[in-house]
Amino acid sequence: MSTEVKEKETEQTETESVESSHQSRRMEQKRQRASQRDLEEEAREEIDDADETIEIKVFRFDPEVAGKEEPRFDTFHVPFFKGMTVLDALIYARDHYDSSLTFRHSCRQAICGSDALFVNGTQCLGCKTQIADLEGHLNSTIRIEPLPHQEVVKDLVVDMEHFYDQMEAVEPFFDADELPDGELEEQRQDRENREKIKMSTRCIWCGACMSSCNIAAGDNEYLGPAAINKAYRFAMDEREGENRKQQRLNIIEQEHGVWRCQTQFSCTEVCPKDIPLTEHIQELKREAVKNNLKFW
Amino acid sequence: MVFDVAYLTAEPLGKTRGNLRIMTTITPVETDASERERGDYEEVAVPVLVIGAGAAGARTAIALAEHGIDSLVIGKRDHGDAHTVWAAGGINAALGSLDPEDDWAIHAADTIDEGHHLNDPTAVETVTRAMPDRIRELDAWGTEFARTPDGTIDQRYFGAQSFRRTCFVGDRTGEAILDTLVGRAQELEIPYRENVMVTELLSDGERVYGAAAYDMEDGHEILFRASHVVLAAGGFSALWSRHSSREDENTGDGPALALEAGADLLDVEFVQFHPTGMVADDEWDDDWNGRLVTEAVRGEGGRLYNADGERFMERYSPDQMELDARDVVARAIQAEVDAGRGTDNGGVYLDISHRDRSFLKERLPRMYERFQSLGVDLAAEPVEIAPTAHYTMGGVDVDFTTGETGVDRLYAVGETTAGVHGANRLGGNSLAETVALGKIVGDHIATAYAPQRTDPLPERIRAAAEHEFDRLAALAAADGGESPQELIEELGELLWDHAGIRRDGPSLADGRAALADLRERARHVGVAGDHTGRPFEFAVDLGFMLTLADVILRTAARRTESRGAHYRTDYPERDPDWRRNVLVTRDGEDLRLSTRTPGTPSERVQRALDEGYELDYHHLE
Repeated sequence: MSTEVKEKETEQTETESVESSHQSRRMEQKRQRASQRDLEEEAREEIDDADETIEIKVFRFDPEVAGKEEPRFDTFHVPFFKGMTVLDALIYARDHYDSSLTFRHSCRQAICGSDALFVNGTQCLGCKTQIADLEGHLNSTIRIEPLPHQEVVKDLVVDMEHFYDQMEAVEPFFDADELPDGELEEQRQDRENREKIKMSTRCIWCGACMSSCNIAAGDNEYLGPAAINKAYRFAMDEREGENRKQQRLNIIEQEHGVWRCQTQFSCTEVCPKDIPLTEHIQELKREAVKNNLKFW
Repeated sequence: MVFDVAYLTAEPLGKTRGNLRIMTTITPVETDASERERGDYEEVAVPVLVIGAGAAGARTAIALAEHGIDSLVIGKRDHGDAHTVWAAGGINAALGSLDPEDDWAIHAADTIDEGHHLNDPTAVETVTRAMPDRIRELDAWGTEFARTPDGTIDQRYFGAQSFRRTCFVGDRTGEAILDTLVGRAQELEIPYRENVMVTELLSDGERVYGAAAYDMEDGHEILFRASHVVLAAGGFSALWSRHSSREDENTGDGPALALEAGADLLDVEFVQFHPTGMVADDEWDDDWNGRLVTEAVRGEGGRLYNADGERFMERYSPDQMELDARDVVARAIQAEVDAGRGTDNGGVYLDISHRDRSFLKERLPRMYERFQSLGVDLAAEPVEIAPTAHYTMGGVDVDFTTGETGVDRLYAVGETTAGVHGANRLGGNSLAETVALGKIVGDHIATAYAPQRTDPLPERIRAAAEHEFDRLAALAAADGGESPQELIEELGELLWDHAGIRRDGPSLADGRAALADLRERARHVGVAGDHTGRPFEFAVDLGFMLTLADVILRTAARRTESRGAHYRTDYPERDPDWRRNVLVTRDGEDLRLSTRTPGTPSERVQRALDEGYELDYHHLE
């Protein structure tokens, strides 16, 4: 059942030669490719030509398609090239073997946060994970699954709604200290403070941390590392107004907030933007304690 | 199934459909529309529909919400993932943090000089005057701008600007600003709907009533009813084969939708070729070709060398060097390559390895990391670059005091519009435009109309929407032999060759002939039956792109001079008589090209223009 290729339409039309200059070589290659139009054949040739090939085993599930309601794994053979990422391998499989293979991706440079996956048992971004960095990539199969602890919509696509809800729960927006009426005044922020929050602003909402967290897996209401990091980003910013900061600390201090964290560091390990999440959670715990003492 | 690209046909579709389908989209001639069951689409009513969820759309919705007006923002992609996140280097505002003599009027003068006096002076003055407040506002909403030692917002040099005026967050300024705007929008509880693609505005040519769209996740159709529609759907630089956008963004949705709805387009011949696009190494994925290396690399001291190791900008622009205007630097690179002094891959070298590693990590973190992941160490070696299509100055003609297009209740904002940048754009002005004008459009709709409800939909407009849904269903079932993606690639090569950095009359004419051929082939497109797949999305994009490509080739042929980003080898000089904008108007089922002279700047800006401020590169050394 794996690597099965549907018959492709082979009707073709004569392509008028478009006058071209410097890119004619590339165009010619493209035309040749278009005239073959047999992608499976193309894949077979590329695999023959490739010095190395890899095998990826991909989770498949589609509740709406007969024969796919039962979760299963499909295996695809993909020619390996230097610099190939997990996302590149998935795209190759989709474009050459099965156009119904579904996964989110967009910017391909670790900014959009849409392709967090579970690869060989670890959360990571598909576009940022080099195949060459996976242990034994040439000899064993690379296993690609959707993020655990989230509901699967289709194949590798999970429902992010709960994650977004938790992010919003910390009210991730800013009230600067009281502004003069109707006046906009530039807020000062010293470099040291900006440095302090810098890493926390790098979050791209990919959800890898939440998926890796044992606590979040057992407590659906736990805010989770990303949301707490978001709270940190504002609470630690010296431009934040006193009232808002107080409010924010109340939110993260509640039953399913910072105190749930058992400092296992799994979120920090998987964060593709290298945000020291666990540290930030710990610091907010300290902040919460300090904050409570203040009312004595 | 055979498809007809209803291009300039005399078919009076308007009579039955409300819309005059003049040219956009690939329309089936054989459809089983009559058999389609009516009413099986989702209907959404909202006072204001904002199409596009980047900075321009978000800022518009924020202004509306601050006035208590409900809107719905829709985007083609996931939450927070608009093309704004790719804007790297910065956002201009005459704050004068480091150069106190800077002033909004000088910012305006720099913008008009760079736009070769084709800008709409009202647009320029509106943006430059508002920017210091917009930055303070972003600051108050939490944007983590880089700071000077005394805690004020740091500013850096950008090409062709007289002072340090560009505020920045490392080289991820757009991402940081969008993050801030999304946070603000969440605070105001502005609804956002992701993965929705608009395929047609519901308009009778006089007034807009909403939009026809489909859900990209499950494919179902959606009819949006709205009293007001704001188009904030980006530009069309992805039409060129080497471009700095994602493959599926900046595909011309905004201008094409507006043109079809009855609005005018302006300045479409002006596309900015950014001097420094990546040149993919053989071993990298082809997608890296054309991706942007931010101007900030040059702003922070990066130098350009040809293959002979010569710092060639000394010959082209001894005073401003690498930081001359983007069109000047892009043409200089192209000239070096054409003269045989380029690299094997047709580029030149950009080198910033004289800076410390720690400096690069702090000031250009994203560039540093990206090249590192590709095995290139910016701190130790140069990178290969070549020009890439980056930004389209042209777009929808609007009134910049309100954002109104010529179609009642239809507004446009951001890269979708034309007017702020004229014949070329200053780096750092595109982000500025989004937040400055987004607020103005939102404020205007809220104060002039205060829409609370949606008007009922006239029957003929509903019929037009249903007709559009039939077309989409038929398109999804198209089974011809032409791949939409390949047609888009060929269109990109066509524009690169015929309407690229250097243009001439005969080549533009050949380009139109080749385009007609592509259109013919688009009749035989094959989509393979799925509304949620990429081929279907590309087929929808292809319609928008074919429309814009034709307008580009026609307006570029019309402008028989060289000015700003538009360079004609057969008319290499700037012609004072051509200080006019080319306006594209729908005329029945055809298009009419006419020209219009831009207004004159205010006295204060004129004075700044007369003073002749400019960047002195040697300040940096």
